[in-house]
Amino acid sequence: MTEITTPITDEVINSLNVGDTVCISGYIFCGRDAVLPKVVKLAEEGRLNEINVDLQGGVIFHTAVSPAGVGPTSSNKLEIESSIEPLSKYGIKLHLGKGALHKETVDALNRYNSVYAVIPPVTALLGDKTLEQKVAAFPEEGMEALHILKVDRYPAIIAAAHGRSIYE
Amino acid sequence: MSNFDFDKTVELVRNTLVSAGSTFREDKKNAYRRAIDRESNDKARWVLETILENAEAAEKNRSPLCDDTGIPHLVLEVGENQAVTGKLLDAIREGVKQGLRALPGRPMGIMGDDSHRIDQSGGLNPDSAGVEPAPILLRRCEDDVLRLHILMFGGGPAIRGKTYRVFHKHNTQVVLDEIVNWATEAVAQLGCSPCTLAVGVGRSHFEAASMMLQAQADGCYDVQSDMEKEITRRVNEANIGALGLHGDVSVLATFMKVGPQRASGVRIVCLRPTCCFEPRIATVEL
Repeated sequence: MTEITTPITDEVINSLNVGDTVCISGYIFCGRDAVLPKVVKLAEEGRLNEINVDLQGGVIFHTAVSPAGVGPTSSNKLEIESSIEPLSKYGIKLHLGKGALHKETVDALNRYNSVYAVIPPVTALLGDKTLEQKVAAFPEEGMEALHILKVDRYPAIIAAAHGRSIYE
Repeated sequence: MSNFDFDKTVELVRNTLVSAGSTFREDKKNAYRRAIDRESNDKARWVLETILENAEAAEKNRSPLCDDTGIPHLVLEVGENQAVTGKLLDAIREGVKQGLRALPGRPMGIMGDDSHRIDQSGGLNPDSAGVEPAPILLRRCEDDVLRLHILMFGGGPAIRGKTYRVFHKHNTQVVLDEIVNWATEAVAQLGCSPCTLAVGVGRSHFEAASMMLQAQADGCYDVQSDMEKEITRRVNEANIGALGLHGDVSVLATFMKVGPQRASGVRIVCLRPTCCFEPRIATVEL
């Protein structure tokens, strides 16, 4: 089990391989279908400072954040998967979700030295590992707003790294 | 209906909905234990063990198994001398609302007019009870009771599910082959495997979908027909595994219900590749 703490460096990414089991700790972003295209748009316009968000070395967990807890949604949904390349370009190092990604996305992750990990949808267990949570931006999206969580040892498996995918 | 008690019915429905969203039935726990025993991929086995551990934590805390707490789908069984009144339906509806608040359900009801609800521009209802249940399915039962099944349907299986016609060529195997093809593709894309495959076969899309719902209400992991066993075995041969990590167990079981059929070369098949927590179901006599 490899321990990963945010912000994640290129050296840590270089050391990861498909199939590795990891534990993620620190502050991570959460977003899904509704908000990720908005974050991408701000990043492409160089306006992330307007929402006081720094993506460098970050983790994006593809989840809503609600009173029911957190848990991965399908990362291969159109609006989520299409965010992976641009968010990697602007600093995200680890995308956390579930489901197979297209080869083009796996290649894009490699281009920006980022990885994709899958996390079991174990909401009841993740609740004990979630220490803090707050809305970071776009509060009008409710549970789909961009959130920041402080997490302690979220378990995950590296599913795409360095141009390879566990789903091959 | 002389003994109908509105408040008691609300309470029963509320508690049943919380159980549906937080509890594995015993046959499902046993199905997971069997799956853990036969899974040869260490990572897939770890996922199976973690899902079972999550279920035990959720049951103990009466908290959601999954953050996608689902859309309530109800099957109401009506015995010989039982009556379904508007007041009963009101009590069930109120119980569902209270159950969603108690679980708590994810507040994911979309507000606004038809167009706003389609493009999600009407905003989210912040109340967990803003998630409307699907229309109730009514059926007769042999016991002289009113029996309510509550099932919580998540979004992932809805993305991967399919209702379509199959030309059967007067051969059951043709239909089974098509179900296996659909299911293999769907399970690989789902992300939340291992699945339980819910299958309905009917004369219309509505009937096939209603058979798929009833298959989940009636299904048991310990009792599998030959057709159900064959579908499960063949999809498992695809080596998809838990979370798609490859492995021996992609499907825990298949729940299949075949309704009346018409004289025709076509059968309508509804497949829902339910996720690792589904069927999330609990049952109560009202």
